[in-house]
Amino acid sequence: MNYVEWLRVRNALRVTAICLGVLIVICLVVRISVAAQFGDRSIVDRIGREKDTVVTHSVVDGYNRTTMTNAREHTTVVIEDQPGGGKIIQVTEPSHSSRDRSESVEVGPVNVSTSQESGGIEKTTIETNRPVPFAIYLGIAAVIGLIVATVLGAPFARENDGHLEFAFLKPLSRTNNALGIIGADCVGILGSMIMAIVAFAIMHAFFEIPHFDFSGINATVIPVAIALPLSWYALLNASTASLKRGAGAVLGLAWPAAIVSQTLAHFNLGGSLAGQAFHAIFWGVSRIFPLTYVSFEGHDSDLSTLGPKLMVTATILTGLFLVYGALAVVQWRRVEA
Amino acid sequence: MSTISIKNLRKTYGPYVAVDDLTFEIPDACVFGLLGPNGAGKTTTFKCMLGLARATSGSVLYDGAPLVPETLERIAYVPERSVLYEWMTVAEHLEMQRRAYKKFNVARANELLAQFGIDLRKKARALSKGMRTATMVALAIAREADILILDEPTSGLDPINQRHVLNLIINESARGATVIFSSHQIGQVERAAERIAVIDRGRLALEGDVDSLKADRKIVEAILPSESFALNGLAGDSHILRLDRTGRIVRAMTSSDAAEVLAKFEALGASGLRIVDLNLEDIFLYAVSPADATADVVEDTKL
Repeated sequence: MNYVEWLRVRNALRVTAICLGVLIVICLVVRISVAAQFGDRSIVDRIGREKDTVVTHSVVDGYNRTTMTNAREHTTVVIEDQPGGGKIIQVTEPSHSSRDRSESVEVGPVNVSTSQESGGIEKTTIETNRPVPFAIYLGIAAVIGLIVATVLGAPFARENDGHLEFAFLKPLSRTNNALGIIGADCVGILGSMIMAIVAFAIMHAFFEIPHFDFSGINATVIPVAIALPLSWYALLNASTASLKRGAGAVLGLAWPAAIVSQTLAHFNLGGSLAGQAFHAIFWGVSRIFPLTYVSFEGHDSDLSTLGPKLMVTATILTGLFLVYGALAVVQWRRVEA
Repeated sequence: MSTISIKNLRKTYGPYVAVDDLTFEIPDACVFGLLGPNGAGKTTTFKCMLGLARATSGSVLYDGAPLVPETLERIAYVPERSVLYEWMTVAEHLEMQRRAYKKFNVARANELLAQFGIDLRKKARALSKGMRTATMVALAIAREADILILDEPTSGLDPINQRHVLNLIINESARGATVIFSSHQIGQVERAAERIAVIDRGRLALEGDVDSLKADRKIVEAILPSESFALNGLAGDSHILRLDRTGRIVRAMTSSDAAEVLAKFEALGASGLRIVDLNLEDIFLYAVSPADATADVVEDTKL
């Protein structure tokens, strides 16, 4: 592996670690602040102080159960500790709606479901600390990976900018040299993604013990999350491999170019020749960018169709990584000091 | 050890010819000085020798074989300008070299850097121009390579460190390494080099053993009777390499028998005759300076 590139990767990971560390500290501060006002005990105490409310504590199967009953309001709140640190909170109260509304909303590890019971009673069940879809973590990790990929995205151009006498005079072929550099960067990008997952798990743990759901789409999306930043890195590398100056501008413009081309590709200017040509041009340009292939637009939760779609996306992104990587190496082999 | 053969080397950048039909050989374990004015093609020649630039035509052979990646294990190079990574410390550069080359001598590198007074913890961006050059030289010498190529290795150094680098070059040669270096300090080249090649506008102007070049070349100085005095075909003499004339004073560079040329001037009636030894700077200047006083001009002078 290439020592200089390792140092660059180390520096990029160091900055990533600092940023994630700052987020962790902020999260910890938020957690401590929230605990004082919105912790379980403080909520129970607050409700318990209300008039006509009776609070009872019991132990069921070794776990605490707190029941708060307000006879005047006909409201009962039951908080049950669950194995693994979660809670189930059941709120039973008179229905506020004449309609039968049963719904379930899931936000990360929290599921809130509402159902209408007989006798005009509405029952709301809040389940905390449910398994978090790992895809969410992968999404966050992919964003961090894309940022680090942009930072590391012009390794050959950095060598071209006055260091080829070091880079090209090592007793190994330029191809092996180039592959060593790409390898180091790929490890760095994947490392940043792992760091992001760990950091967000730590932040998650400030609030509850994290549980991950690796089933279904959560496993299928892993290759996409890995291939996306790597193919983005390869594109940036291929775009800058023969440059001696100005690689920073290419890296800076790559994001706007990807977003603008993808946006313009979606414009439909009607069936006129100019409109069709406009669409065709930007559609074609947008295909260059790996981000184009990652879209959940139109996807449904049907795993039978989403799974194969994600595998196709992963295959395309892997193909882009290999093609762009090869283009970068071929260009760099021809660079002269 | 190694003999380097450069044959018909040509390198063009578009219409610009940087090196043109360059042919010379660098013997094994020799200190070889490559001289030439700015833009003559010295650095391009080095780059072609190292594969950093692709030759348009011609070849560079190491012991009869073209350059392959494995050959680079035996070659150390100090470029004309610093190629250190600004954001890396000197120690990290040292580690980079240690990992890249099997024979890199860390203790020797540390010793040389200490001699130059370079702090290993400093980042390259914090080093002065001279210190950067010294670091590059130290990293190259510590390679203990068979072939050492140095492009202006004393550039930016103070006189003490210039002398130190020169001694290192001589020591490397004594160790058996082939040392090829370029410098604008002709005195340094004269002190260290056994052989030289002078390149001018990409072409080989002169090549040979330093002692022989100096022994073979003399200047015959004479004062002519008048500024319009004709030289009667002397400029076409095969012993005279070049003839310069300034007013009544004429200087003839001879390739062999200076006494014979002196006798010819005497026969013409010239006075103040003397034979002057040449130093390397004179030889260099004669090789590369524009011949504004060519033999023809001298011959045709009719004031």
